Amino acid sequence: MIKYIIRRLLYLIPLFFGILILVFAATRMAGDPVKLMTLLNPYITPEARQRLTEYYGLDKPLYYQFLVYVWKLFHGDLGNAYAIRGGLAVTTLISQYMWETFKLQLAGLFLSLAISIPIGVVSARKQYSKLDVSVTTTSLLGTCIPIFYMGIIAIIIFAYYLGWFPPAGAHSLFQERYPFGNYTLDELWHMALPTAVLTFALLAPVVLLVRSSMLEVLRQDYILAARASGLSERTVIYKHALRNALIPVVTYVGLYFGAMLAGAPITETVFNWPGVGRLFVEATRKLDFPVIMGITVLITLMTLVANLITDLTYAYIDPRIRLE
Amino acid sequence: MKRKSPTGAESQSRVVKGRSRGVSQWNIAWKRFKKNKAALGGLFIIGVVIFMAAFDSLIAPYPPNDISGFWKGETRVPPSWDHLFGTDYIGRDVFSQVVYGAKAALYVGFGAAAIAMSIAILLGLVSGYYGGHIDNLLMRITEIFLVMPFLLILLVFLRVITVVAPSGVGGLTMVVTMIGLFSWSSNARIIRGEVLRVKEYEYIEAARSLGASGRRILFRHLLPNVLHIIIVLTTLQIATAILVEAAVSFLGFGDPNSITWGQQLQFAQEAVKEAWWEGVFPGIFITLLVLGFSLLGNGLRDALDPRLRE
Repeated sequence: MIKYIIRRLLYLIPLFFGILILVFAATRMAGDPVKLMTLLNPYITPEARQRLTEYYGLDKPLYYQFLVYVWKLFHGDLGNAYAIRGGLAVTTLISQYMWETFKLQLAGLFLSLAISIPIGVVSARKQYSKLDVSVTTTSLLGTCIPIFYMGIIAIIIFAYYLGWFPPAGAHSLFQERYPFGNYTLDELWHMALPTAVLTFALLAPVVLLVRSSMLEVLRQDYILAARASGLSERTVIYKHALRNALIPVVTYVGLYFGAMLAGAPITETVFNWPGVGRLFVEATRKLDFPVIMGITVLITLMTLVANLITDLTYAYIDPRIRLE
Repeated sequence: MKRKSPTGAESQSRVVKGRSRGVSQWNIAWKRFKKNKAALGGLFIIGVVIFMAAFDSLIAPYPPNDISGFWKGETRVPPSWDHLFGTDYIGRDVFSQVVYGAKAALYVGFGAAAIAMSIAILLGLVSGYYGGHIDNLLMRITEIFLVMPFLLILLVFLRVITVVAPSGVGGLTMVVTMIGLFSWSSNARIIRGEVLRVKEYEYIEAARSLGASGRRILFRHLLPNVLHIIIVLTTLQIATAILVEAAVSFLGFGDPNSITWGQQLQFAQEAVKEAWWEGVFPGIFITLLVLGFSLLGNGLRDALDPRLRE
């Protein structure tokens, strides 16, 4: 097991570097960052530009800059932002925003799994019933609605028309506006809409997946055997069938986790949520390369770790899979 | 040469007007497809959007980007008979803009899918057929593209290109190219998997022992036999590309000079409270078009490869 994890980690290193090089190349393709940064500053002197170039180490050859970046990365230093928040250290910047992103995404992930698995199971057991047809139709529609559109609709209906939830932000500005004066309630109140939208967005594909995977499993001989040996329907479905049906779902969620974090810019822009996604959009607009690099590196790392955890979960769910 | 079919039903023939004619795989698939109401519905939606794009200037009551309403103070006017979907923040007729946006949506869908699928097909075929070191290398590259945060890197590339590219380069074609270049990885993997399966069949062995070249086997024997998967993947890729472009435009990284539905949503977002119609209608069209391609893709999958039916 330990051996397997180490081997997988070694295997992830070239992948990680590949992505790192890609992003680094993308950001350097834009030309001299100092020139871009000072483009609109009429008072900048060539000497000041020179000083900035030297300060950021941009006068060194490109491969050297890359090596320095990697070296610093392993020491937990992602450099300083060029402009955002007055050139704050990227690690500080990210740590300020990360929790908000995590809060939202994890809540959405767990809620959608908790809802979608039972729905998928029921839908599969009553295949082609009215319930099944309406579940599959709604799910298919759900996979086709862009998440930002879903967000806008939710804001129009629940924030403006009904006025139940705040349309944007993660916290109330003033303490007087907290519901019952409680900070946690305020947080949850603000989370409601974005979490609901995220949940629904992830719900649709997982329901379809659980359903089709369950249908596949229910056709297997061992389910027939389990039924024939007189086990209750409940035991057959939840103990024998579901466990096997969840394997593709684990794969999907593992892969989806990365996509979800990378999709954070969209949700966070719609709901004006102070997370890394919105920070990334701001950094990209302002061509703040250290911030762009930092967020990409972080999200890539988390995706890779999520993939590793997915593999380990397999072995837990399905004892036939041996990790060696 | 006889094609191996997944159903084994190709040998049946029927008598049409006195002469016997073989029923091809495609005929069988079409017959199956015709029975699928959802898939036909998808085809209908796509047909409507193509019609909108083809006759946009005839359908739209106002010229593209017509801001004459702005001078009359008709900004963010609610839907009425004059403006079916209302007007937007600079007085453009939302309905007309939606009609003009159809062309961009189709261009993005087909263009990006064409680029992505070309790469995916080439890599999938070569990697699956030759195996060994080539396969290993190509699959590592594919994995990089599979794992990387797709949207983030897409945004960075689009932004950087608008900065460095000389004026004239860029526009919607650049967005399409970028989406295509970054979204082939999962398709390449699926095609490779299918090639790995198909290349074990006897007819490939036979072709090889008859002295067919690698290229001939790849494009004359392997490609037609994985075509059904490719068709399905292409249809679903079109849907994905449309969604991605809408998201990119929504975030403000699309082409500012094109009329796209995603861009309409971007500006609508600023005033959903005052003018819900500005965003709701373009969004419905994005959803419908994506739904159309998804339904078509699912229908094609069921028709072309019945084993995959749920």
